[in-house]
Amino acid sequence: MNVTQVSPPKNLGELFIGFLWIGARSFGGVLPWAYRTMVEERRWMTGADFTETIGLCQFLPGPNIGNASIVLGKRWFGVRGSIVAFLGLMAAPFVWVLVLYVLYVDFAATNATLRAVVTGVGAAGAGLFIGTAVKLGRPLAKRPVALVLIAACFLCVAVARFSLVIVIPVGLAIALLAARKNWL
Amino acid sequence: MSLVELALYFGLLSLISVGGMPSVMPEMQRFVVDVKGWLTPAEFIQAFAVGQAAPGPNVLIASLIGWNVAGLAGAFVALGAMCFPAAVVAWYVAELWDRFKDSPWRLAVQRAIAPIVVAMILSGGFVLATPESPDWRLWLIAGASVAGMLASKLNPLWLLAGGAIFGAVLL
Repeated sequence: MNVTQVSPPKNLGELFIGFLWIGARSFGGVLPWAYRTMVEERRWMTGADFTETIGLCQFLPGPNIGNASIVLGKRWFGVRGSIVAFLGLMAAPFVWVLVLYVLYVDFAATNATLRAVVTGVGAAGAGLFIGTAVKLGRPLAKRPVALVLIAACFLCVAVARFSLVIVIPVGLAIALLAARKNWL
Repeated sequence: MSLVELALYFGLLSLISVGGMPSVMPEMQRFVVDVKGWLTPAEFIQAFAVGQAAPGPNVLIASLIGWNVAGLAGAFVALGAMCFPAAVVAWYVAELWDRFKDSPWRLAVQRAIAPIVVAMILSGGFVLATPESPDWRLWLIAGASVAGMLASKLNPLWLLAGGAIFGAVLL
């Protein structure tokens, strides 16, 4: 079978079902399931195309995979495609997270062990963030200006607790100047 | 009133969330816990944990906060506000981005955003692991999951499960 042969979804129904299927089984992160569904199983797009789209969505503000549903839906079916893909993606996880949370709150009121377990999961999730930052930061480690920027933003946000509404625009402006001077 | 506040604030967060949800977690915690008092620090980390453990995009933490503030309507409003402004940006930028493929400004933007995103995700991890005063047990669990993530290619679900076990024993 030719791996480069791809065919986009034929209609909105197919698009909806595809994204519903991505959302419905996305335990442990949506991205790998999105890849599996769209590139490997349904062959809507090539792997390279997928990587490029996700790269753009990581740069854009907003939930990465949510943005990917908007961009891909638009590419295939215009504004209706964006809406359908987004709703398909969110429908099942929205219900599940609320049901889980309501159950949790119900039981946690009387069960200290459950609270401890869930707090432990939260701390491990925090560790995943830090690990992600380390992985993303490795290529930047050779650039002293990048490290200074990272340290300064970290101090402003995590320690001094300044609002991101200030830190992001100011930090981005400085970073953009540095990038134009080839320091980044 | 809370619904309007929720919509406006999450709408604003949506526009500055470069790098996705991890980037805005410190800000969300600051606003929801410190400024508004909608959730306690412990409730916030638990909502985050449920959002992480459940399948689905991590933006769903927004709907859990909305649920705490104003029930089902709050859940819909918070999720919508967190996604919609960014979706509009994505809609328009997707084309521009292709058109400026070789522009030096596009490269500059890409390189400028990288360190900011790294700093925000790092801050998110730190803030979530330090919900109140520093607690060595939470830092230990977070540290173990960092080590597990960097040293192996384990599915993150196993690291979350490890956190659950550590939590039951230590906390």
